[in-house]
Amino acid sequence: MIVNNPEKIKLIKDNLVYMEDIVVKFGKVVALNGVNFRVGKNEVVGLLGDNGAGKSTLIKSLNGYHRISAGNIYFDGKHADFTSPKDARDAGIETAYQDLALVNLMSISRNFFLGRELQRNFLFMKLLDMRRMDEIAARSLKEVGLRNIRAMHETVNFLSGGERQAIAIGRANFFGAKLLILDEPTAALSVTETEWVLRLVKEAKESGLAVILISHNAYEVFGVADRFVVLQHGENYADIKKEETNPEELIEVIAGRIKK
Amino acid sequence: MNSGRWKKILDRMLRVRVFGAFTGLILIMLIFTILSDKFFTWDNFISIFTTSSELGIIAIGTCFLMIAGEFDLSVGSVFAVAPMLGALIANTGVPMAIAFITSMVAAGLIGLLNGIIVTEAKIPSFIATLGSMMFFRGVLLAVSGGFPIDYFGEETGFLNALGGKIFFGMRASGIWFVLATIIFSIILNQTRYGNHVFAVGGNAGTAKAVGINVKRVKIINFIIAAVLAGLAGFTMFGRFHSIDPTAGQLLELEAIASSVIGGALLTGGYGSIAGAFIGAFLIGVLRSGLILVGAPAYWYQAFIGVILVISVIFNTKIRKAVAG
Repeated sequence: MIVNNPEKIKLIKDNLVYMEDIVVKFGKVVALNGVNFRVGKNEVVGLLGDNGAGKSTLIKSLNGYHRISAGNIYFDGKHADFTSPKDARDAGIETAYQDLALVNLMSISRNFFLGRELQRNFLFMKLLDMRRMDEIAARSLKEVGLRNIRAMHETVNFLSGGERQAIAIGRANFFGAKLLILDEPTAALSVTETEWVLRLVKEAKESGLAVILISHNAYEVFGVADRFVVLQHGENYADIKKEETNPEELIEVIAGRIKK
Repeated sequence: MNSGRWKKILDRMLRVRVFGAFTGLILIMLIFTILSDKFFTWDNFISIFTTSSELGIIAIGTCFLMIAGEFDLSVGSVFAVAPMLGALIANTGVPMAIAFITSMVAAGLIGLLNGIIVTEAKIPSFIATLGSMMFFRGVLLAVSGGFPIDYFGEETGFLNALGGKIFFGMRASGIWFVLATIIFSIILNQTRYGNHVFAVGGNAGTAKAVGINVKRVKIINFIIAAVLAGLAGFTMFGRFHSIDPTAGQLLELEAIASSVIGGALLTGGYGSIAGAFIGAFLIGVLRSGLILVGAPAYWYQAFIGVILVISVIFNTKIRKAVAG
């Protein structure tokens, strides 16, 4: 992909994520219709919108889960044609999905390393290095403040919603991700766990990551996000800096009663 | 007594995934030992082990596939297809080893076909493999005219290595059964691929999201299930040097029963190969034990049904306790 326009080259270079005119179709349904989206380096973007606005589809087209029908995606200054979520992870995009984050019946450390398992040589075979995976997972989860960690062989079924998010964030830290995507991270969390997860988002930003926070709760993300992108019916609706708005107004924008 | 300590010991025991099946096996063996003095003998153990081996080799493949979240009902048919193809080829004068390899490749291709139909056409494996089970059974009957096919050749060494007597009255199939159990246990629990098998069966969406090629894992497991079914069929062929076109009927259900008794979850993502081993052995114990205590042979299936349901109830309780 050759880009000649110097202005556009600058946009691509200045942003970590630069997506333009993204179209995603599922059969006859148009889920995204020409959406533009960018995330600056070390920026926390709140991706907002009502149910069915296309938030999840947008991030799933960024991280290789869906193939886009049209448009261009640039990540870290390069044209990104991720053909699978593996490509996106290798490039440094770590995603914590609302529903697809973890395999419930698998252990904490197996989930932590899923798809990137550590191996050791044994005779002529390559076997899982369970001891090292347990150690690293335990250390990483301690760093993100996962208290009362039981054994790493415990299944994640027993973990609370906040602890599940912490695994995803700890995973992003350990594998040196550049972009962390959190899909409705505080949905169904208790008040203290919500505070904890939002604090982790702040810490992730301080350590140099960019974060996309998907939510439909303006109050919760307002404190941690730098900018808000609002989608509606699969199209761009608003793009507002935090300084230019307040949570009350943001709710009106998400609901489609104010256009900014 | 220190109840905390007992709780800890119980917890650790329950975590051994074959705990339920193993306890059940011991209990049933105990009952038969009390009821018949011929049950707990070396000869009877060997005979149980031989019959269990053929079912068990299939059950290992079935269990491996079930953990990835799919069924294969065609394994009973493949169990007969592979040796029959082998017999037909070998009867033309081709060396048995080549006939064997050809048949294993054919079994693998059936697995590949099952896997592609399930993953590409996106139809439930239960239906897809029900279709291939009926199709290949029909082909078997049509080709053989319904009569057993005998191996006329002189070359019995290779067949004996698969299913012949080796030592202490044991048959070679027992060795293949134990070997397959060890190999697939290691693959499942100790390798990256095994980790992906659990993930694919546990939550295919998550597996895809972390970059695992879900379709590839499923297709490979269909191939493994079919090849092991073919191998099991060949061990029986090695025992009789003849293959009946109806051989292996209902084995697919007994293989699923073995896996489930061994703790495998019907919906995927949970189970163990050692469990399937014990499940298959337990079914063999039931068969032999009921004969020895003089129960009419018809009761055999009824008992398996009861054991199956009881074991699922217990396994579910254990799983809820240790894995949530």
